Amino acid sequence: MTGEPIDEAEMAALMRATQQGDPAAYARLLKAVAPIVRRMAARRWTGSEEADDVVQDVLLSLHQVRHTYDPDRPFIPWLMAIARNRLADVQRRQARRAKGEVAVEILPETFSGQETKDVVDRLAYSDALEQAMAELPAGQRRAVELLRFKEMSLKEASAASGMSISALKVSMHRAMKTLRTILTKQ
Amino acid sequence: METEELIGRLAAGAGRPVRRLAPPSARLLFWLAVSLPWIAVVVTVMGVRPDLTARFEDPRWIVEQGAALVTAVAAALAAFCAGVPGRPRWERVVPIVPVVVWIGAVGFGCLQDWIRPGPGGVMFESDWACLPGIVFVGAAPGIAMAVMLHKGAPLAPFVSVGLGGLAAAALADFGLRLFHAQDAGLMVLVWQVGSVALLTVLSAAIGRHLVRWRHLPLH
Repeated sequence: MTGEPIDEAEMAALMRATQQGDPAAYARLLKAVAPIVRRMAARRWTGSEEADDVVQDVLLSLHQVRHTYDPDRPFIPWLMAIARNRLADVQRRQARRAKGEVAVEILPETFSGQETKDVVDRLAYSDALEQAMAELPAGQRRAVELLRFKEMSLKEASAASGMSISALKVSMHRAMKTLRTILTKQ
Repeated sequence: METEELIGRLAAGAGRPVRRLAPPSARLLFWLAVSLPWIAVVVTVMGVRPDLTARFEDPRWIVEQGAALVTAVAAALAAFCAGVPGRPRWERVVPIVPVVVWIGAVGFGCLQDWIRPGPGGVMFESDWACLPGIVFVGAAPGIAMAVMLHKGAPLAPFVSVGLGGLAAAALADFGLRLFHAQDAGLMVLVWQVGSVALLTVLSAAIGRHLVRWRHLPLH
């Protein structure tokens, strides 16, 4: 996904139009901005998170503070300040996660054992899970669908559902608890 | 979610004009317009110190008060600048100059008291009222600053909220000294400048909670 390359003056004009409520100009601007941020992320980024996640994080942040752009000032430094800031945040988050990780040479492959596989297969392809899902409240079911079935990140799921990240975490936790209870009974 | 889809959603939610953030200088004027009347009211209610006219003839008092006021203005301006992406970083360190002048002037006052023999010499006693006094006088400037910083970009929460706290506390100390008759160098340094420093550090500590990236649900 790349937008047509446009120069800084045009970006500034699109940003002005965006501030005046022009969605088409905004879409064009974001499409032009995304590859710039992706290139910057590729140059500086060494973490495990997908470059696209970093780009999306920057776009969401730009959206939040689009009112802070001053048309009398250049656009690129404004954009880069946001991108650098978000990239630094992602790197800090990665560093914190890495501190909690334990390196192992051989990963325990419980999923290769036939018994483990049978249980997983039985659950994954049975009607039992479907029935248990149907018993969940709507919010919890939505959380499971987005976070587990569609494998979205919390941020993506929050954007898609309109639920806050903390509400999603709570719903997910409760859904897992309920599903475990229902499936154990069966 | 694909980036293309995200762009579509963001654009769909941007159909209304946004209220552009005013330039830092205009925001500074607005902050002073909110804060100074509050300080005037507090000083009036508390009662102007009886020796105020004489104080205006004391160069040491004038320099200390001037430095506190300039510190407040410079810190507020720097805090507002820190919330605008792409502005130069040197703007954030400008308030160091009036802070150094302020501490230097108060420190010089301590030295003068130290070398002066007799009852006008160095004096130190407990004056815990300074901290709640500064908090009270700085309440309106502090709240106004917090609301205004919340509208900026959360690029440097620690720095911007710390500077905002310094601005509100320095302005509060400026107001405090218009009704609180305590000018002994060491007392001012410990209880007044100390309170300002403490409030600045506390403000910086809550910076990340006050201004942060928050991604709202998309439409």
